[in-house]
Amino acid sequence: MRLIWSSGYVELKLNKNPVEGFSAGLVDDDDIFKWEVMIYGPQDTPYEGGYFKAHLNFPKEYPQKPPKMIFMSPMWHPNIGEDGNVCISILHEPGDDKYGYETAAERWLPVHTVETILLSVISMLADPNDESPANVDAAKMWREEPAEFRRRITQCVRKSQDDL
Amino acid sequence: MGNCFKTPSTDDISLLRGHDNQDGAEQALGPPPPYQERVPVYHPSPNVSRLANQLSEEEQIKIAKRLGLISHLPVGVYDGSSKKGKECVICMNEFILGESLRFLPCMHTYHRDCIDDWLMRSFTCPSCMEPVDAALLSTYETN
Ligand SMILES: [Zn+2]
Ligand SMILES: [Zn+2]
Repeated sequence: MRLIWSSGYVELKLNKNPVEGFSAGLVDDDDIFKWEVMIYGPQDTPYEGGYFKAHLNFPKEYPQKPPKMIFMSPMWHPNIGEDGNVCISILHEPGDDKYGYETAAERWLPVHTVETILLSVISMLADPNDESPANVDAAKMWREEPAEFRRRITQCVRKSQDDL
Repeated sequence: MGNCFKTPSTDDISLLRGHDNQDGAEQALGPPPPYQERVPVYHPSPNVSRLANQLSEEEQIKIAKRLGLISHLPVGVYDGSSKKGKECVICMNEFILGESLRFLPCMHTYHRDCIDDWLMRSFTCPSCMEPVDAALLSTYETN
């Protein structure tokens, strides 16, 4: 089992493979299956300056099955549902199902870690994918009304700063 | 399209086992739960997990075929030789002398339990994403 939280587990992993852009901790010290992460809005994107809080919920079968990621902070993005659920290929289980257009390589693999997941999420923020939007309205706005799209995100960024 | 957030959020495995998430923490500190003590749980497709005795005939055939293919992959015991790699990237633990390993055609090596569980879900090497069945078939052809 690799989901072991000891003091500084994340710190240790991050030092080995320095990654900027987020911090992580447990929601509740007694439950290592629920992580709280803070994602810093990537530079040169409308999310810059934001401190977005999200939860990672790991199944008991992790790493055989992917965790689910849900933003607690309000978000506006084509690949984040209005309930905060993150919809990216690497969090999809492998197999023949409704996400059949994705290859095995794009989906969940048991070699992924909290770092690789969060890096994918950070790159998703910078580069939305509107092929299979989780938030159809955000996807439409991103394509058709970029100024309004940015304005909505600026509201999320301000809210996240107020909530700190 | 856009149906990501409609994915069922409850995991039916936990329902089958009669557990809830509350007891997760204590289990996590030990080794993975001993699946072999219970009726095996299979995953005919994503988000579908059934006990072995609840599978449809079609699912049983699919699983039997997969188990057959997996059984063709070589196994061995870790003898300390570094050629076989030192760590299982699935559980992130170093191999210990005497542990059961499985060798994939792409030369990647894992704990037998770790990779067998994964291969039942996806027949792909988690490190190089090489489809394992294609490699197996080409081995048969060249022989
Ligand atoms: Zn392993
Ligand atoms: Zn491989």
